[in-house]
Amino acid sequence: MNYKKIDMGSYQFHIIQTTRFKSILMRICLRDKIKKEEITLRNFLTNFMTYSTATYPTKRDLVLKTQDLYAANISTKSYRAGNYNMISFYLSILNEKYTEKGMLEASIALLADVLFHPNFENDQTFEEAFRYLYQRTKMNIESIKEDPGLYASIRMFDEMKDDQPYTYHEHGYLEDLDQITKESLMAYYHKVMNESLVDIYLIGDIDEKEILSYMEKYMKFETFKRPKASQIITHEKKRSRPRIVKETVPSNQSKLSISCKIDELNEWERNYVLTLYNMILGNSSESKFFRIIREENSLAYFIYSSLNKMDHLMLIRAGISKENFDKTIELIKKLMKEMEKGNFKEEDVEIAKTNYITLMKEIEDNEMAIIETYLAKDLLNLGDIEERKEEIQKVTKQDIMKIAKKIKLDTIFLLEGGLEDEGN
Amino acid sequence: MKEIKLSGLDQSVFTEKLENGLEVYMIPYTNKTNYSMHYITKYGSINQTFIPVGQKEKITIPDGTAHFLEHKMFEQEDGMDPFTFATQSGTSSNASTSYQITRYYFEGTNCFKENLDYLLTYVHSPYFTEENVEKEKGIIKEEIRQYDDEIDWILDEELRKSLFQNDATRIDIAGTVESIQKITKEILYQTYNTYYQPSNMVLFLSGCFDPKEALSVIKKNKALAKAGTKEPIREEKEEEPVEVNRKEYRFSFPVVHPKVAYGIKVPLPKEMDKYKFYLYVGMILSLLFGLASPFRERMKKEKKMTSFYYERNWVGNYLIIEFYAESPEAESLIEELKKELRKGTWKEEDMNRLKKVWISSEVLMVDNISATIDNLLEDLIDYQKLIPNKVEIYQSLNNEELKEVYHSLPLDNDCVVYVDPSTKEME
Repeated sequence: MNYKKIDMGSYQFHIIQTTRFKSILMRICLRDKIKKEEITLRNFLTNFMTYSTATYPTKRDLVLKTQDLYAANISTKSYRAGNYNMISFYLSILNEKYTEKGMLEASIALLADVLFHPNFENDQTFEEAFRYLYQRTKMNIESIKEDPGLYASIRMFDEMKDDQPYTYHEHGYLEDLDQITKESLMAYYHKVMNESLVDIYLIGDIDEKEILSYMEKYMKFETFKRPKASQIITHEKKRSRPRIVKETVPSNQSKLSISCKIDELNEWERNYVLTLYNMILGNSSESKFFRIIREENSLAYFIYSSLNKMDHLMLIRAGISKENFDKTIELIKKLMKEMEKGNFKEEDVEIAKTNYITLMKEIEDNEMAIIETYLAKDLLNLGDIEERKEEIQKVTKQDIMKIAKKIKLDTIFLLEGGLEDEGN
Repeated sequence: MKEIKLSGLDQSVFTEKLENGLEVYMIPYTNKTNYSMHYITKYGSINQTFIPVGQKEKITIPDGTAHFLEHKMFEQEDGMDPFTFATQSGTSSNASTSYQITRYYFEGTNCFKENLDYLLTYVHSPYFTEENVEKEKGIIKEEIRQYDDEIDWILDEELRKSLFQNDATRIDIAGTVESIQKITKEILYQTYNTYYQPSNMVLFLSGCFDPKEALSVIKKNKALAKAGTKEPIREEKEEEPVEVNRKEYRFSFPVVHPKVAYGIKVPLPKEMDKYKFYLYVGMILSLLFGLASPFRERMKKEKKMTSFYYERNWVGNYLIIEFYAESPEAESLIEELKKELRKGTWKEEDMNRLKKVWISSEVLMVDNISATIDNLLEDLIDYQKLIPNKVEIYQSLNNEELKEVYHSLPLDNDCVVYVDPSTKEME
């Protein structure tokens, strides 16, 4: 595997040359400071751009074109990372060794068409796409309530009562959806294309010279250069005791969604110590949560913790019976306290390290994950795979105990299943 | 050891059948760091009535036993459980139960031999006690209650109840909160001894490993050597009539938008190759209802659907075609769908374009070690043999046979399930 970063003027081009895969993956990454009122627009725009283009004005036209390119796949994903908004477009194709000559160039040309020729010109097909996407987005936002786990998590963030980006609804807002017009969509498109920081990642068995000629020919970004602001969110306010909120819905199981705020950590603590803390406490089948809350006490079907490192947050989620709420919370608190006191074995730390190293090795078999690694290198200043394997070995039990004291429960949200438990 | 080449895909499968009847399938890769090992018994939730090994009378076990048994295999007499064992070497482990199989798997990057040895050992070391069986009921109850809240799960279940009169796929894999209460240590042992014989099992190894070394580990494994009884499985399955069980069914659920499921039950025509039939039906569905279909374009324009997908699955010798949609006008969407099915028009060039897509996805699939296991396992379960020349078969598909298959479809043997939004009031 060979990595190279090339400054193309308006964007950085990252090439990862490898013969491991039969496919080629390209990811275009556009980032900018997040604004709450732009989230709905962002989701709408990226769906609109991949739905049809000026050249392929209906979804059907676009799909037929991708089928001709041996199922070239163009997709998009948007999410928030700390203070930033991340818009990504992906192109995945079979290496033309397995199809026919010319497919690589034709596929890149198609991706460029998606990026640079949105379907704003033809009024009729624009209207059709707009109406369909409006209806689909509306139903998606309205359907969040049907997914109790997701709904509990969104409600928990609401109840944190912080005016911070992590409380923004990733799926968007109905009131903002109703404000979207062709004009606002076009204006936002130009803003994204002109003001974002752009990175393009490419992985596969490719010829550098050939690919550079295609990039110059098709990927004509005209972004302004701007200094990068920090992506990391830190907390000024902290609760002395957690806020507890319960809401009842007509379902069987209850969903628990909890946030914990973490004091500002240095880069090394955040990248390595915190990772091991999380694995030991709640993020593996060997974790304290899984062992003690699920296996020993049969309190939950699932329980796990996860990290939003850029937000300095740890999240805990569980599916429980409502009558087990107090007992579960008590155990969570107790297990977190034990991490502070060092009531875990050196062996737990070693196992977590081994698991971490395996995860690193597994990245090598996954194109998407390899690109993520290089992206994280830029965002979190995380090392490459080899550096990470070395750094994780340096973490000690004392390091973990030290950061354990910096993690505090903030908001506990229970989405209570109101249906009778007729099981027993 | 026999080598089978997957044609057009630069990949081989090595197979060996052991004396005790266990079939081993090995797919070694040269460009991977990870490996995947799946140990599978051909026993799932639908195997419910049988004569236990060493006995004379048939028994019918409670709904959800296969899934319960899977959970209980993680309990070992020495207190070490497979999760713990796997985690020590950074390996991930899990298990799953379907209608037809139960599988146990390890996926990792190191300690291949130790993990393989342990996988075989623990699956052949059952340890059920009254106490640990009771404890598991609490965990599984939570799991079932979670499914009861998921509308897509319930809709799928109701569609199966509409499609089948007797077939055991009518019953949820995990059973019900009531049925699992009836499970006992004795039932688990009787079931285990019958269905977990090596002659009823298959082992798949895929990724970075050496097949010769793997075989030597397998042949030396003590628990596996002790397990061989090779008793034939004597079971009873309900005959499933061709006709669907109920044509239309409707229920309310606290969803925001109406949902609908539509199914067609297709018996495999006599003198038709089962795999080719499966492919042709898939082709018809893609042509009429796929992402590039005029039907989709029209329905979206008429605001008749927001989400829509379809799938097809074998249940015995019935091919089940299922459509799921979320739609503000569910009834009208189903009417349109039925009309489109009966019209059945497509262009030959569209079919050729789809062949490109299928070939491409086959090449990509083989780049993924776990997907390759799933793909080959599906061959074994649905066709009782490996199909190593899929790319060639795709290339051989033609419009004449496609039309023939289309005309053979019993489109009236269908059923529909509607979900109406309800606002269930809390008391």
